Amino acid sequence: MGFLWTGTWILVLVLQSSPIQAFPKPGGSQDKPLHNRELSAERPLNEQIAEAEADKIKKTYPPDVLGLGAFLPENKPGESNYSFVDNLNLLKAITEKEKIEKERQSIRSSPHDNKLNVEDVDSTKNRRLIDDYDSTKSGLNHKFQDDPDGLHQLDGTPLTAEDIVQKIATRIYEENDRGVFDKIVSKLLNLGLITESQAHTLEDEVAEVLQKLISKEANIYEEEPNKPTSMTESQAGKIPEKVTPMAAIQDGFTNGQNDETVSNTLTLTNGLERRTKIYNEDNFEELQYFPNFYALLKSIDSEKEAKEKETLITIMKTLIDFVKMMVKYGTISPEEGVSYLENLDETIALQTKNKLEKNVTDNKSKLFPAPSEKSHEETDSTKEEAAKMEKEYGTLKDSTKDDNPRGKTDEPKGKTEAYLEAIRKNIEWLKKHNKKGNKEDYDLSKMRDFINQQADAYVEKGILDKEEADAIKRIYSSL
Amino acid sequence: MAARGGRALLALCAALAACGWLLGAGAQEPGAPAAGMRRRRRLQQEDGISFEYHRYPELREALVSVWLQCTAISRIYTVGRSFEGRELLVIELSDNPGVHEPGEPEFKYIGNMHGNEAVGRELLIFLAQYLCNEYQKGNETIVKLIHNTRIHIMPSLNPDGFEKAASQPGELKDWFVGRSNAQGIDLNRNFPDLDRIVYVNEKEGGPNNHLLKNLKKIVDQNTKLAPETKAVIHWIMDIPFVLSANLHGGDLVANYPYDETRSGSAHEYSSCPDDTIFQSLARAYSSFNPPMSDPNRPPCRKNDDDSSFVDGTTNGAAWYSVPGGMQDFNYLSSNCFEITVELSCEKFPPEETLKSYWEDNKNSLISYLEQIHRGVKGFVRDLQGNPIANATISVEGIDHDVTSAKDGDYWRLLAPGNYKLTASAPGYLAITKKVAVPYSPAVGVDFELESFSERKEEEKEELMEWWKMMSETLNF
Repeated sequence: MGFLWTGTWILVLVLQSSPIQAFPKPGGSQDKPLHNRELSAERPLNEQIAEAEADKIKKTYPPDVLGLGAFLPENKPGESNYSFVDNLNLLKAITEKEKIEKERQSIRSSPHDNKLNVEDVDSTKNRRLIDDYDSTKSGLNHKFQDDPDGLHQLDGTPLTAEDIVQKIATRIYEENDRGVFDKIVSKLLNLGLITESQAHTLEDEVAEVLQKLISKEANIYEEEPNKPTSMTESQAGKIPEKVTPMAAIQDGFTNGQNDETVSNTLTLTNGLERRTKIYNEDNFEELQYFPNFYALLKSIDSEKEAKEKETLITIMKTLIDFVKMMVKYGTISPEEGVSYLENLDETIALQTKNKLEKNVTDNKSKLFPAPSEKSHEETDSTKEEAAKMEKEYGTLKDSTKDDNPRGKTDEPKGKTEAYLEAIRKNIEWLKKHNKKGNKEDYDLSKMRDFINQQADAYVEKGILDKEEADAIKRIYSSL
Repeated sequence: MAARGGRALLALCAALAACGWLLGAGAQEPGAPAAGMRRRRRLQQEDGISFEYHRYPELREALVSVWLQCTAISRIYTVGRSFEGRELLVIELSDNPGVHEPGEPEFKYIGNMHGNEAVGRELLIFLAQYLCNEYQKGNETIVKLIHNTRIHIMPSLNPDGFEKAASQPGELKDWFVGRSNAQGIDLNRNFPDLDRIVYVNEKEGGPNNHLLKNLKKIVDQNTKLAPETKAVIHWIMDIPFVLSANLHGGDLVANYPYDETRSGSAHEYSSCPDDTIFQSLARAYSSFNPPMSDPNRPPCRKNDDDSSFVDGTTNGAAWYSVPGGMQDFNYLSSNCFEITVELSCEKFPPEETLKSYWEDNKNSLISYLEQIHRGVKGFVRDLQGNPIANATISVEGIDHDVTSAKDGDYWRLLAPGNYKLTASAPGYLAITKKVAVPYSPAVGVDFELESFSERKEEEKEELMEWWKMMSETLNF
């Protein structure tokens, strides 16, 4: 900064050498009042954050100013109290700082630190998903780890009777050994905590819970043949004798286990398939909450555009699931989730409407005779929808792994929106212009080729980014 | 589609999409967590023109959007890179972008040559969007302009300086920070000082136009020139620009050549041969800008000396002497007439004021564009109809010539009056024509030049004819 000032003062002196009264004095600008400007006001905050982040990246952990520690893998995701918005903003801030520093050397250098940050965030997210999707590792594991035979829960509150039963049953299930039960019961008896009759009752209860556990697992892994067996057996076992029920349960359980070990992969796949099937059945139910999207789907000719329809459904479904998940984990509030989905639906409506409007003008064009026009229209809107969504994903996906120092995920969205809007205006004008001037009908494929060519040329010259060019090409190819 | 690529991948993309859309949705809600949101996206105030400052990525984006909206009449290109590697982007608007149509004059606007003088940069972005919008709406003035002119708009000649200036925290922008390029060079003092040469030539005899032949080589070898300066010089040499304006900030006036005083004093009126037309051109800008042309406007700063300002215009040297500036370089090395427009008392005013600057300047920007269609224009060809490039067109009484471009086309800006124009080229016989020039539009005057050899042939033929006639009459 000192250097700069020296330089500027030299400049002033130079100019002063031929005394200029009219030359504006720097002091004059100082008495302007200060007021907030979004452009400049944010800088200090961002720099603060960015500096903190930058330091952390380089060394160990400095004072955690804004809960930035949540970025670290050790922190439980569930305990974070920052919003996802802040995440990205911090990320942006970091990348801004990086960008400024890196641009000193060369503008094309990839900010590895930035990449690291992005990957950190991503890997944290991934970890959460995997942990929670993996239903074989039930939460019950955690309860047993620390205190296998203890009579307290993790948080120190004493166990209730149900808890004890549950605990025992789970233990037996997991260790696949009824000896566990015997051990525990004998311990309890020895301690005088329970009477003989109470032990019997306990056995029954444990059997019940165990049965439930087994049947639940069986459901998930499609143990159709084994379910009735284990059910009936355990039911039979419930009646008087001590040994029989346990043996029966054990048998059923062992069967289940065997099958499990033998055809683990198969059952898993079945499970997944079953999940998918559920999805498909569900989807129309859920999607009816999205009237516009539903209408769009309905309007697609199932035979011709089955693939597109399926894709659309999948995309929509996935989006909905993720919103649900985010609500579940508290990343966003339910209201936000709902409003987002509503927004989505509205946007679809708007896009469809625009497409339809555009295609209405097509009706008059000689190129499109009336009957095939309708299906063309629908094809267009489908393709455009699909392409639009794909593009959104593509752009967003790319931007998080972007080498470009920007790395802001909200920017691509605003930018592609702007580009879409611009392209739409262009097409509108071209159609109108050609109609008026009675020139040759506006040739879409020629336009597309031209745009592709230009986009590539611009990428070469550094006027467009590769992703931008791809997005633009995609938009045009979807028309 | 992606469905096959793995559900996980699609799922991740969808998650990101969801998050991204959420943010978008969040940003649109009032009272949404605005903390940390870098900028208000799309203040759709008027026809897709967002009146906010554009950093380099946004600048690029804005130009790309204009191109996408008006692909038929626009083209983006770059004349080179700044010191820190940012592209010096230009958007060209014309009915046949990328092509010089014979007879179609070329115009340029350059802004933000001093990085902290930000209004010009933004106005040029708004102008590009405005021209595109108006063209599509069928605005006759704009349509005519775009069909008959090739308009080049460079919003920023010093993007590095702008980034530095814009990065300053707080409202107050320093008077100097970001002014020069990344090397600390003031670009408007970095051009070869042709004024000095001209002043010497005036005394001792010599040309005052198209000085420095073989310019490209000299330019490339000159180590004192900033990359931005070099890029612009090449640009000027490559395209036969006719009219130009260079946008600045820090005051409110339209400034015309010469910028450097003859005597070397601090300020004295130093007129160039085309003083009359320049005054007219400068006035064409200032008169449509209410504060600029307001005679009762107080000076920008209390002790400023604006005694040289007349109707919002001023001779450069009368205001203060500037050596090595881009404006005079244009005039003395090429056919291009350039003025310098100071757009704002404050060099980097608050973002909220940008809209009003646009309102103040949009008519001026268009009016100045239209000035290119004034004076005289035409073609210089030989007797076979072939274009003669680099022919000289001189005007009696004005000691400044212009030359014809590759297609033999020329444009000579002139104030209304009666003139004698002479076209000449080496190996050709010069032709002089009388022209009456109105305020506008430009009068078309073509020249068909006869080469010396043709004339010799003609004379020989004439002689033979005479001899034949004589011999027949006198019977020898």
